[in-house]
This record gives sequence, structure tokens and C-alpha cells, in this order.
Amino acid sequence: MASISATAKSIPTRPRHSLQAVNGIFGLKSVSISSLRRSFPSIRLQPTPMRFRVCCAAKPETVQKVCDIVKKQLALAEDIAITGESKFSTLGADSLDTVEIVMGLEEAFNISVEEESAQNISTVQDAADLIETLVAAKSG
Amino acid sequence: MSWLLRRNMLPLHSNSLARRPFASPLPLPPASLPSPRETHIWYVVPDELKDASLLYQYMELLSPCERQSVLRMNGERLQKGALLARALVRTTLARYTDGRLSPKSFKFQKNRFGKPEVEWDKYDLWAPPPLQFNISHTSTMIACGVTLDLPIGIDIEEKQRKTSNNILSLAHRYFSPVEVAYLKTLADPECRQSEFIRLWTLKEAYVKALGRGFSGTPFKDFTIRLEASNSKQVTGELKSDAPSIVVEAVDDPGILMNRWQFALFELNNSHYTAVCMERDVKNPDGENNSLKLEVWRTLPFVEDECVTETDAVKNIIR
Repeated sequence: MASISATAKSIPTRPRHSLQAVNGIFGLKSVSISSLRRSFPSIRLQPTPMRFRVCCAAKPETVQKVCDIVKKQLALAEDIAITGESKFSTLGADSLDTVEIVMGLEEAFNISVEEESAQNISTVQDAADLIETLVAAKSG
Repeated sequence: MSWLLRRNMLPLHSNSLARRPFASPLPLPPASLPSPRETHIWYVVPDELKDASLLYQYMELLSPCERQSVLRMNGERLQKGALLARALVRTTLARYTDGRLSPKSFKFQKNRFGKPEVEWDKYDLWAPPPLQFNISHTSTMIACGVTLDLPIGIDIEEKQRKTSNNILSLAHRYFSPVEVAYLKTLADPECRQSEFIRLWTLKEAYVKALGRGFSGTPFKDFTIRLEASNSKQVTGELKSDAPSIVVEAVDDPGILMNRWQFALFELNNSHYTAVCMERDVKNPDGENNSLKLEVWRTLPFVEDECVTETDAVKNIIR
């Protein structure tokens, strides 16, 4: 299922020293979060249920533009992968980030997002779909 | 790692810690319960965690569901933050149970609006204290506020936080007219920036205390301000005629919602922190007394330091 592979990709295997664990005089081996996963084999990422989407998904260019705006707002490291499936909550967006992202999207696409619609956005794809709906409504 | 030596927390040869990642952690020192006027705040600075085996200890405390949520976070930095947040909540609550409950044993549920709360078991010979809590985090700090049986909200923001959008644009969009007017009176852009952030934390703390979520309590529908308008900043100790932070509905200006009391201060010289707590009206003095704070800096199982009367907690406005 696409959602599982997307989720798996979102946990990059980073070099082991990335957690800045002790080196030098104590000689402790560094421990990465991904090695913690191996110590807790009962953790299996549950598949996210596929949501039944009636409307057409947004164009890849729109999704990419949303990804760029989100990545910039959240100041994410270069190796953090964002896709349409990425959830804002797992990207570490707090409420101020969220409102800033909404305003950034409004500016970039020249649209106006209602508060109720903004509350229903949980993934990058949701945002892109909403944007295209609003853009189409404007020109239609 | 020299800070661990300085604070005398670890023996010189800490291989023992490295080799026993799954050994039971040192017990948490018990803490006295908050009084009805008090909010206790425990905060952790993620960058102070240098011992990676602590991550094993913290992971051990979490429920399987919490572990999954941690690992779903995008990237190691966010995963570490999420892990620390859960470990902070569990260890903090455990401190108030006089050794009877371990951090691992806590269960959590959400109220009907989605606010997390403790799900207490029933015990035969002991009634667990009716603790309420709330957490907030940034990438550089995680804070947990605890009260005895009173709704609480806490929000922290980095003092240096810059917004991508113009402050007044954000304010026009999300703040009440009175708050926008206040921000407009501040000519200095840095002052306006910091007042925006401080007001944001107060509004967040209020919404979180109410527990109805961002959409249940729209920012635009209420105003938070100082009651005496001629005094913008109060530092140091509380005076009886000091201005106080109040909240009122935009539709009902002048009717202050006295049920809620606030504190706004600087934490660790790095973060603006706002606390909102329901006033304890059962207490006969509850009407007149302002919110009392006790604050600890912690690295669970390693070190706790009470910082209440120190420079780590300053510029308190209530």
C-alpha cells in the first residue's frame, strides 16, 4: 500500500552519530532512534487506512509547491522527505506554523482559505487538493 | 559530557550506564502536590540530553501506541522531541503519587474535544491525586504544567521566533480588534514582534486550558489584555495594584471572565511562557489570589533543579 511505503520512507536512516551522543572520554556508542526500533520489535507501523477521495487529486506541481512552502516555513533539514502523504503533525508544525503556512499558501496561489476548511487539512495532499478546488472556483 | 562531571551526577567511568540500557531507572524523587492556587511546571531542554542510553530508558516508559506515534515523526530531531515529551509527562505525573505509580503505568484518554487527560485506575486503599496537566513544546524546550484538579493550559515559544508573515497581517487575520489596536500602538518592530509572540502564547494557553481545541475557541472571539492600560510591563514581585492579565469575549467586552487566571514570564532566558489556570472558587481566598508558580528544570532520572526563585524564571506578569 502506498501509505505504508510513504510512512517507511519518512523515517530516514541517518548516520549513527547524528544524535550527538557521547564520544571522546566516555566512549559511549551512539544510539540512533532507528536502532531503538530494533530493540522494540513489537512496534510495527500500522498502515494508515486509505481515505476514499471523491474528487481528483491535485496536480503534482501543486503538491510540490505546497511541499516547498511547508519545508520553508518549518525550516526542515534537507534530508527530511516531504510528500503528499506527509502529515503536518508529524512534520512538527505547531499552531502558529499552521496559520503561517495557510497564509503562505493563500499568497502563493492568490486564494482565500476559510477557517473551517483549514481545520480539515491534515496532509500536504489535503492542502493541495483544497488549493486547486479554490483556484478552480475562482476562475469558474 | 563535562557538565555531567561538574554536576557530580555520574561516576567518572560511566560504562555502567552504557552497558545496562535496560536496567530499571533510578527512582524519581517524590514531589509535594500543588496547592489549589499553584501551577507546577517541569521543563526539559532536549539539547541537554547527551547520554543516548537515556533514550532507551524513556522509550521503555511509553505505551506501544505512544512509541508508534514517536516513530511516525518525520526525522530524528522530531522523534527525539516527541519521545522526550511523553517521557516528561509520565515522569512528572509519577512524582506526585508518592512512589505508588510508576511513569510506565499511566494511561491517557482524550476528552470529547480531544484534550489529553489522565485515565485513572480505581484503587482500594488509595485515591490517586486528581492531577490535571498540559504540555507544550518547541524544538529547544518541552514544558509540562500540573495542577491539582484545575484545568490548565500552557504554551511556550522561543523569544527569538520570527514570523514569515507580517505581524499586523497575522494579527488582523487571527487576533481580536482590541489586540490588533494594541499591537499597532507599538512603533518599534522588535517590540511589536515580541508582544505578538507573548500575546500568542497567552491566547494558546487559554484555548488549551479550555480544552476545546483551536477550532472550538477561535482566537478572534476573545481578547486578552492587561486590565490597567497605563502599565505595559511589570517586573519582579507582585504589587496589589499591579495590572493583571484578563480575558473577555469580543461580543461581551467589559465582562471579564474571572474564572481564568494567567501568568506570563520568561523561562530559561530563551522562551516566553504563558500559563492559564482555572481559578479555584472553592477556596474562600480564591477570588483575590493570583496564580502561584513553582518551576523545575529536569532531565528525568538524571537531574532535577528547582528554579522558581532564580533567574531562569523572570519578568512575571499575572
